[in-house]
Amino acid sequence: MTTTDIVTVGNRPRLESRPLRKILARPEIGALVAALAVMLFFSVYTSNFMTLSGAGVWLESASTFGIMAVAVALLMIGGEFDLSAGVMTGFTALIVGVLTSHYGLNIWVAVLVSLVAALAVGALNGFLVMRTGLPSFIVTLGTFFVLAGIDLAVTKLITGQVAIQGMTNVPFYDSVQPLFGSSIQIGGGTFYVSVLWWFLATILATWVLLRTRAGNWIFAVGGQLNSSRQVGVPVLKTKVGLFMTTAGAAWLVGMISLFRTSTVQANTGVGQEFIYIICAVVGGCLLTGGFGSAIGAALGALIYGMVFQGITFAQWDTNWLRTFLGAMLLLAVFLNHFVRTRAGGAR
Amino acid sequence: MVNVDSGLLLDARGLQKSFAGVRALRDVSLEVRPGEVHCVLGQNGAGKSTLIKTLAGVHRPDAGEIVWLGERVEIADPQAAIELGIATMYQELDVVDGLTVAENIFLGHELATGGFTRRSEAAKQTRALMERLGHASISPHAEVGSLSAANKQIVSMARALSHDIRLVIMDEPSAVLDSEEVKNLFGVVRELTSEGIAVVYITHRLEEIRQIGDRITVIKDGRTMASGVALADAPTSELIKLMTGREVASVFPPPVPVPADGEPVLEVEGLSLHGVFSDVSFRVRAGEIVGLAGLVGSGRSEILETVYGARKASSGTVSVSGKRLPRGSVTAAVRAGVGLSPEERKSQGLVLSESIFVNVTLSSMARFARGGWLNERGERAAAREQIEALDLRPSDPDRPASTLSGGNQQKILLARWLVHGAGVLLLDEPTRGVDVGARAEIYALIRRLAAAGNAIVIVSSEIEEVLGLADVVLVVSDGRILATLPAHDIDEHGVLELVMKGTAA
Repeated sequence: MTTTDIVTVGNRPRLESRPLRKILARPEIGALVAALAVMLFFSVYTSNFMTLSGAGVWLESASTFGIMAVAVALLMIGGEFDLSAGVMTGFTALIVGVLTSHYGLNIWVAVLVSLVAALAVGALNGFLVMRTGLPSFIVTLGTFFVLAGIDLAVTKLITGQVAIQGMTNVPFYDSVQPLFGSSIQIGGGTFYVSVLWWFLATILATWVLLRTRAGNWIFAVGGQLNSSRQVGVPVLKTKVGLFMTTAGAAWLVGMISLFRTSTVQANTGVGQEFIYIICAVVGGCLLTGGFGSAIGAALGALIYGMVFQGITFAQWDTNWLRTFLGAMLLLAVFLNHFVRTRAGGAR
Repeated sequence: MVNVDSGLLLDARGLQKSFAGVRALRDVSLEVRPGEVHCVLGQNGAGKSTLIKTLAGVHRPDAGEIVWLGERVEIADPQAAIELGIATMYQELDVVDGLTVAENIFLGHELATGGFTRRSEAAKQTRALMERLGHASISPHAEVGSLSAANKQIVSMARALSHDIRLVIMDEPSAVLDSEEVKNLFGVVRELTSEGIAVVYITHRLEEIRQIGDRITVIKDGRTMASGVALADAPTSELIKLMTGREVASVFPPPVPVPADGEPVLEVEGLSLHGVFSDVSFRVRAGEIVGLAGLVGSGRSEILETVYGARKASSGTVSVSGKRLPRGSVTAAVRAGVGLSPEERKSQGLVLSESIFVNVTLSSMARFARGGWLNERGERAAAREQIEALDLRPSDPDRPASTLSGGNQQKILLARWLVHGAGVLLLDEPTRGVDVGARAEIYALIRRLAAAGNAIVIVSSEIEEVLGLADVVLVVSDGRILATLPAHDIDEHGVLELVMKGTAA
């Protein structure tokens, strides 16, 4: 996993002994180059992109996607998808909103209940996938729609509206808010605490991937499931844990969006699950599992945040954002494929 | 070490196991002594793999008992087997390509303190294991995906040794190795047994059993035919008889002389594929069988695939009946009457879920189509004709290809090209996965096809097969043709000698 080791393998010394090639084969290298290019472009093209106030805006934008992209990257390295991840951010926020504003539950308790609910759905996703052997794409597509329906129907049923507002009136709101929604001013720029969460999540995920037993297991179950099982890797635990991690990250993002704006829409998060996957893939994750990086996914999210806000800074038509994202995804996949086949030698 | 009266390390008795009503093990017993190499011999489908997986904790037996060091044990999962001291090296290499050598070796039992994996300690122990296995050149930090099949197997073996084990089960370990690597493997096996570790060695190569085995257990149709026979007392013919239940005399049919002045049907001139093989030339006349003999990785299969147009040659020409084929076009090759029966029959040659007749007529669809509709009756009739001619069983053209044995699946591929009217047949490993008994039938069939005027090229990793079947043998090594000889002028030893010399040069 280190890039400095000169590997001496009898059969392929030519490929492995070149440090440059090893660096190029790192999953996050493409995303790093792209992030620098995007940053440079908007810095030159617009006047306030590369200021503290500008950075505050695009970092905030990247942070929530970054937290999710990192979790989704772990899941993808482990060989699974979670399409319910987007809607889960709305689901968790709505739970807190409904429980506090309509049932008067203590807000701290509501936040915890929401976390437990998220982990339960994550565990359910994991068990359904592992017990039935169905692809996670299908299983989580199911939970995605179930949750999306619940979000809308239950919110409408209880509140009569499709959004929950006025969270600031809930007792003790101010005691929770700093944890998820606070910000500080640095030289005219507003920096939200979510950026800190994003960095923490990336560091934690990278440490887990590269320095812990669980990290080995994640690569193993995503790479060769049967082999992993045969050598005694706790496959079920690893996969269910990954789905629960993704759900937990969705809870964190749900809380961040709830406490930053003090409102939540019933359709929050719908459609965002693909952006997480795009960030992870741009960051070097393979759709087939067994390969990828948390730092890469974080960089993927950074690119997303920069482009999203950069287009606004440049005063372009923001409707083009998705076209740009799609093109970038294709480019990233082509690049990764090219590097992988080159680094792996002819098959 | 072994505090048991019987002196047995493992004593498995009366094992039974069924899958969805199919009985894989009916009554299998296996006794292993400490420090011995115990070979398990059996045809495909005899139950060898099920036996191994039962001992490795992947399957649980329906009946029977396993006694380990004098105590009856239940092996509930792979972890339990490892804790007892039983490690298994599976035929399909069970390593994770994306992880490093050290990570693979300690996968599932990582060295860790407080959540941190101890990477330098793992690397150190890996280095020690590699030294013990005589492969100090494999770095603990190398990504396993970049290793050769042989080195992956070493990693798999090192993983077995990273546990405190007393028994290693090796499932056809030589299948992916060339002869030099097999020698190395045997060295490792001897090393293990000298330390008192027992090895259960599964193979279908009789000559390997002779070289490495102490005792042998023969399995047939899920039953033990001979248990723990000392190899010194077991003549090869006896073993084959036990394995197949019949006497195998000469399995190769007598060659039919080819007229020396016959026109060549297939002409290959200076064919090269960049980085794989170069300057390959040969001619095949009608009625002639040409065999390519060489080791795994010598470029044999790639040569066939390039002649067929599945790979685009970087230079050289392929001509059929005097007409040059365009490079890299399967369509043109098929139209000119060239048919390929690929090595990976199931994944490259057959549509397994489809019926026999669909598979047989697959390359001749145009002939059975009328105005965009397929004439299924015609297809079935053509298939039935071939089923009869090739003695394909079962004879029902509507049976799905997946339900057939390896030998009969091979016949489907032959039938396909016969229906198509191919005059040049390229057969890559025509008897892989085919039972010893059914092989003779395939051999006879190939000979008959040649006698009927087809030009045939066969590739096989079993040199004996090439020598027994072909009229002319091309010895291939490292992507070059070392020699072109009449088959009766060379024996297996001679081929190997050529290959060794050629590789050294």
